[in-house]
Amino acid sequence: MDFDQEQLRKAIVSLAIEKVLLAIGQPVYEKVIRQLSKDYNCYLPECYEHPDYLNKVLKKTFGNAHITIVDAIKRELDEQITEKPISVFISVISE
Amino acid sequence: MKNNFERLQEQKPLFACLLITGLGIVTATFFGKDVVNLVTDFTYIPITGAFVILSLIISLRFRKTGNHGKAWLLFLGTAISWFIAETTWTVYELVYHLNPFPSTADVFYIAGYPFLFSFSIYYLKPFKKLVTRKIIFSTSLIAVSVLIPSLYMTMYNNSDESKFAIALGAIYPIADSIVLVPALIGIFLFFKGEVNFLWTLLLIGILFEVIADTGFQYFTLNDAYYTGHPIDILFIWSYIMFSFGVYNHIQLFKKSDKIKETNKLV
Repeated sequence: MDFDQEQLRKAIVSLAIEKVLLAIGQPVYEKVIRQLSKDYNCYLPECYEHPDYLNKVLKKTFGNAHITIVDAIKRELDEQITEKPISVFISVISE
Repeated sequence: MKNNFERLQEQKPLFACLLITGLGIVTATFFGKDVVNLVTDFTYIPITGAFVILSLIISLRFRKTGNHGKAWLLFLGTAISWFIAETTWTVYELVYHLNPFPSTADVFYIAGYPFLFSFSIYYLKPFKKLVTRKIIFSTSLIAVSVLIPSLYMTMYNNSDESKFAIALGAIYPIADSIVLVPALIGIFLFFKGEVNFLWTLLLIGILFEVIADTGFQYFTLNDAYYTGHPIDILFIWSYIMFSFGVYNHIQLFKKSDKIKETNKLV
C-alpha cells in the first residue's frame, strides 16, 4: 500500500514538473531532463527523491527566475500539499 | 558556474566578427565614400541573413511550444523585418541611386521593434510574478534617460531635413528605449542563469542600437551621414550581438540525442 502511494506521488510530482516546463517550451523540458541526467545521472521521476537536483538545475538554467518555476510546480501540487513527502519535496525545491 | 563575463571571454568567434566588420569598414573608409558605401551595404546583407537563419533555427527548435515557442516566432519576425529593411536600403542606394532615408526601408526597420518587444513579453511571461512595479519603474527610468540626447536634438535643431524625416529619425531612439525596458528586466530576472547570456547580448545589442540611432539622427540632421559612416559599425555590431545571443540559445536548448523513456513514468 505504502509502495503504491509512493509510486503515485512520484508520478504526480513528475507530471507536475513536466506540465510546468512544457508550458514554457518543449526544449526547456528537454534541457532540464538532459541536465539532470548529465549532472546527476538522474531521471525526472527520481526528482521526487532528489528534489535538490531539480532545484540546482533550475537555478543553473534560469538563475533568479527559477523561483517562479518552483511556484508553478507548487500550484500544480496544491491538492497534495498536505501530504508530508510532497511538502518536503516542495520545501527542498524552494530553497 | 560561469558568470556572464567569463562566458563573454570565451566568445572568440563573437570578438572575431566584431573585429573583422569594424576593421573592414574603417579600412574601406580610406578608399573613399563609394567604396565604404559598397562594403557597408554588402556587409549588412549576410549579417542580417545569418540573423534570420539563426532565428529560424531556434523557432523551428521550439516549434511554437509554450510561451517561448511563441516568443521565438516573434523574434523571427524581427529578424525578417530587419533583413528586408537592410536589403531595401541597399537596393535604394546601389540600384536606384536614391537616398534611402526616409524610404520604404524604414517601414521594415520600425516593424521589427513591435516584434522584438512582443518577443520579450512572451519570453518573460512565465516569470512575470518577479516583475514588480519597482523593477518596471527603475528600468523605465534608465530607458527614458537614454532618450534625452535624441529628444533634445529633435526639438532644437537647424536642419534642412523635412519635419517628417526629423520625426522619423526620432522614432528609432524611442523604439530602442522601449525595447530596452524588457531587456533590462530580463538581465535582472535571469541573473546567474545560463539563459542570462542571451539577455546580456540582447542588452548590449540594444545599447549599440541606441547609440547608433542617436548618432544617425545627429549626423543626418547635420547632413554628415553616409552609408559606411563609423556609426554603421554599431548597427552591424548590434546584429552580431543578437545573432550570437540566439546562437547561444540554440546551443543551450539543442535537441538531445534521446530523451530516455525512463523519464516518462506514466
